[in-house]
Amino acid sequence: MEPPQSSKIFPSNHKTLFLLDHTPYFGISCGVHLEFGYTKGRPGFIPLSPISKSLWTCSVEAAMDYCRIVWDLFPDGKLIRFVISDNSARTLNTWAPDQQNIYQVFGSLSGCGAPPKLNAGTQSDYSVIHGFRTSVESMCECSEVQHKKRTSLNENATELLNRCRMVCITSARDNESVKNLEDIFQNELMRTNRVASASDHLVAIDHCHLIILNVYPNSHNSSVTGHPPVQRSPILTTEVYSVAAANQLAAKMTDLLMAHYDLASTTVIGIPMKEEQNASSSANYNVELFHAVDAHTALLKGNLAQELGQISAPKEGACYETVTLKWCTPRNNNMADLHNCSTLHRITPAEVNSRPSACLITFLLNGRTVMLETPRRAGPKGMSHMLTSYGGEIFIQTLNTGRSVLEDPPAITEGVGGRVTDYRIADFGQMMRLNRLVPLKRRFLAEKLAAGGSKEVETPLERARKRLDKFTKYWPLTMSSNYIFNYKQLTEPLVSNMLKEELTQEELLQCKQCIYNLISMEAKNESLPSISSALHRGSKGPKREEQYKALWNELETYVKMHGYSKDHNEIINCLVECRKKPESMIKMEKIEIEQALKGYEHDREQMQQRDTVIRTTFDAPASPTSSNGLTNGNSSDAGKVSLKHKSVYEFYMSKKKRNEKLAGELKGVPTSIGYITRLYPQLADADFPPNVKPVVEQ
Amino acid sequence: MPTIIAVDVSLSMVYRVIGFESNEKHTRLQLAAHAINTLLDYLALHSKLEYVAIVTYSSKADVLSSFTRDYESLKSKIASLPVKDKTDYESLVKCLNRIVINDWGSYTPCQVIVLTDGSSSFDMVTPSPAITVNFPSSVTVMCIAPSEDVFSPIALQKILDIFESNGKIVKTDPRADLDSITTFTRELAKENYSSSNAILKCGGIVSKIQLLPPPMPCTTLVDFEMKTTQVSNVIEICGFVDNADIGTPAAISRHLVLPIAGIHESPIVNDVNMDVDEDSVHDDGKVPSFCVLLHGALKVENMVALCQLSANWFGILFSWTDTKKRSNLMLIVLEPDKISVPWIGDFKYLGSLPENVVPEPEEAFPVRPPEKRSYNQNIVVWVKQSGLQSDVQKILRQARKLPEKTNNFYKELNRLRRAAISFGFVELLDGVADIFERECTMLPGTAHPDCALQLTHSAGILRRPIARDAKYVIPPMRTKFVSGMETSYGKI
Repeated sequence: MEPPQSSKIFPSNHKTLFLLDHTPYFGISCGVHLEFGYTKGRPGFIPLSPISKSLWTCSVEAAMDYCRIVWDLFPDGKLIRFVISDNSARTLNTWAPDQQNIYQVFGSLSGCGAPPKLNAGTQSDYSVIHGFRTSVESMCECSEVQHKKRTSLNENATELLNRCRMVCITSARDNESVKNLEDIFQNELMRTNRVASASDHLVAIDHCHLIILNVYPNSHNSSVTGHPPVQRSPILTTEVYSVAAANQLAAKMTDLLMAHYDLASTTVIGIPMKEEQNASSSANYNVELFHAVDAHTALLKGNLAQELGQISAPKEGACYETVTLKWCTPRNNNMADLHNCSTLHRITPAEVNSRPSACLITFLLNGRTVMLETPRRAGPKGMSHMLTSYGGEIFIQTLNTGRSVLEDPPAITEGVGGRVTDYRIADFGQMMRLNRLVPLKRRFLAEKLAAGGSKEVETPLERARKRLDKFTKYWPLTMSSNYIFNYKQLTEPLVSNMLKEELTQEELLQCKQCIYNLISMEAKNESLPSISSALHRGSKGPKREEQYKALWNELETYVKMHGYSKDHNEIINCLVECRKKPESMIKMEKIEIEQALKGYEHDREQMQQRDTVIRTTFDAPASPTSSNGLTNGNSSDAGKVSLKHKSVYEFYMSKKKRNEKLAGELKGVPTSIGYITRLYPQLADADFPPNVKPVVEQ
Repeated sequence: MPTIIAVDVSLSMVYRVIGFESNEKHTRLQLAAHAINTLLDYLALHSKLEYVAIVTYSSKADVLSSFTRDYESLKSKIASLPVKDKTDYESLVKCLNRIVINDWGSYTPCQVIVLTDGSSSFDMVTPSPAITVNFPSSVTVMCIAPSEDVFSPIALQKILDIFESNGKIVKTDPRADLDSITTFTRELAKENYSSSNAILKCGGIVSKIQLLPPPMPCTTLVDFEMKTTQVSNVIEICGFVDNADIGTPAAISRHLVLPIAGIHESPIVNDVNMDVDEDSVHDDGKVPSFCVLLHGALKVENMVALCQLSANWFGILFSWTDTKKRSNLMLIVLEPDKISVPWIGDFKYLGSLPENVVPEPEEAFPVRPPEKRSYNQNIVVWVKQSGLQSDVQKILRQARKLPEKTNNFYKELNRLRRAAISFGFVELLDGVADIFERECTMLPGTAHPDCALQLTHSAGILRRPIARDAKYVIPPMRTKFVSGMETSYGKI
């Protein structure tokens, strides 16, 4: 006996095979004429010779719509193959994922054409039975995931069960001949299974669900009566339906589809649509959607039996029920708590090219979200579902309608750490932006291919995590627990450059310039700007020497943590060495660095004679104004800039003013430290100190 | 998860039990009430956010109190428990379904604690009608001082079966007294309300957190295997995504992330002299917590943090604001072992690019499927007659607007023709040719000469065998009325 869960773990709908009868009989008309009059309001029309679909066309259309719905809802893992049979059998596609789409099958079908005409002279052996062997052999071929499972080395893995389903659309004379077909199929199944068991690449069929659809023209009757599912043998269950080609076949196919894939139907009612001719008023339309049945589970469980009657009703002319949900005209402010969806399923419209469907689909694909409410006669109206689209796919989501167990939680400010006010939120925000995730599948696969497949290539996610490690190696949570992030005007771009994977020569020089500036500040006995620190409140704070010492120690610790390359190590060495060097040497080297940086600057300016807005200079790390103000000991201005009592805006304004003054000096004013020149004009918006950017936007 | 305490108030509950140690005499009902009090005291101390409801049951179940966090009011209500007739579980389960579904819906797991003496009027012969619990649950059947003569293990097993969950049956001493009930209940509460402490890790920053409610293990079907996965106790942030990009993923559960004091937050090698206030040492609110920082930054930046919960299981941390404008850090748990957010794609392919790398156009959200869905690509479906009719009518509409619509006319005509060939419906080609010819005779005098010319031209081609070739494309006729059209023919 099979374990009870096996049908769930190895579902029959993993592999479905359509065997289509392509014998001459299927070339006959289905007996229903198509109407192409279009004679409304145009009298005196010449009637056209009537046309009608053949049995073949009806079969193909019904099978293709089955595929359309399955592949729309389950892009992976639900495979369908086609075999057609006339005087021999042909397969139209394989189990490979790239062959599992409508266009592939459409293309193959166009090569088949209409069923051959029966010529009195040639006695060809036309029969659907030719397709049996090909079909069974096809079902014995492994799908990709079955192959993976079979060849995996996992000893604990449960043994693979190859369960599949075959839908055979044919036409039989009577019940006796149907029985005959079933017997032939059973024999074929056993024969092929013997072959498959002895084969390495084939897998025997553990169970096959055979559905025979006996199709007859609407103008005729059929003596085939059909029967519900019957277990013919341990490996074969069969069921037979007899349906008229023109309308019953497609309806039966939908019924089967619903059962085969556990689907449910939702009818969205009351969709207001404007008519082209009558744009001022709008009429209400209904659109039927298919999706996995789970999207209804909560709704059906959550309502009492008598209420269910109002929600769910049998679909007209079909064997399934449809749940009615009412369209809610989208508002912009109903997005309050969107992270409250409990299920997500793809949808597809029942009638894909009907006008109301197309209208709803376009609305959704344009990025609008539609809430659906459960119509109730009494009680509050509940938004129970939501339709949304992402990346060109449309989904139905279940919304939690009940109370939340998380009602009335204590706010985060009431808990641990809730009353700390100097978190480095802006800095963390910047760090988050630098660690924003993007999909890198193609890049990764290309890299893997380049690596030859033999070497394990780190996944992008592993790499992202390592990068995050690097960025958070030294990360004080609050402003008051550090120096280097408080003195950004002194420590940047050294601090952020250290996190880069590679440094340009210019960036390297910038880092060194930071270090040299700091050393000369210390040498000149300039005091560090006082920092806004909750910790130093009330007291005078540490002495100047201690501040420098702490700053240097912290900077050294930080820099030493990030020695990723030769250039990074050069900075580490520079920092360690510099502090030992005599002042005169420092002065000289400092000028050298500044000259070199000026050279880069000059080159760039020549290259792009544009945009000399100085906005990027203010608060730019180690910008000359700050250091200039400090080195001159000009205590009236920059030296006393206290972050403590200034809002970011005030800070920005005060800096801006000074920079405007600087603009006039751009031509090159020699000072004690060389020429004052604009630095780092390359700093784009993204490089703005995070705390200033929003102000700029205002 | 919300708790429902169900107290058996059948007649057998008034049986007096003589305590083994103390020789005190208490009815089972009094002992049960004492157990409830002990449980509520435990919750008040350790799990304040727990909602509790109390139901009494006999042949009829009554809601003594609906879900509340006001444990004192619950205590006052159990002070006087009524005594009714026989034990009946069917009415109890119906009552549980009603109150849980009404309040929480059918996705919220609830804990059910049944206090009984273990006797039952379950009809052991006929199978009981199909009563099932319609919400995820875990049940504990606590037998208060069960006596040999009435205790029915089969009946109790039946209760567990109804709940279809990993429930358990526990028994107190047959001669229990208040003290032994206290000890027993406390042990049970400790087991049932284990808080889930975890570590939240963001690169080098580590923070101790508590998840409320505790995350449940999840069973999923992956590649022909049933897998049960547990949330690991280290929740590691992998990176950040914009709110707009993450959209509205489906969550299997949602949890509050509360920071816990007592672990140092960041591996800071810090030489800065921190002169910490004496008072603040005892005030958790003033100890910096990474959770608060993260919450603030996520809120300001409108971003979420993607985090890994175990090998193939991910969650999303975001700033959640409730209806009273109170903000919190929230974790939503996604479905494990699959692409749970299709527009984000497989999480293992997500990465951050170094600052000097320019992302490719496809390296942005949403991730699009390799093939478009049928509703997104003008697919041909003629199952219903109206589908075919509207396709033909569309072509005729274009025909009347020739020559402006020449390209559209031929595009639609070729689309229809290709579909007809795939469906083996060649009769349609002759039918459409007939319609075109008739249309020519009906053209008004004001019609552009191109209308007649193009219609006749296409009707002629449709009747030729070459029109049955799927690869062939019917080209527009070059007329002197349309100049400069040649360049656009190629596009058709």
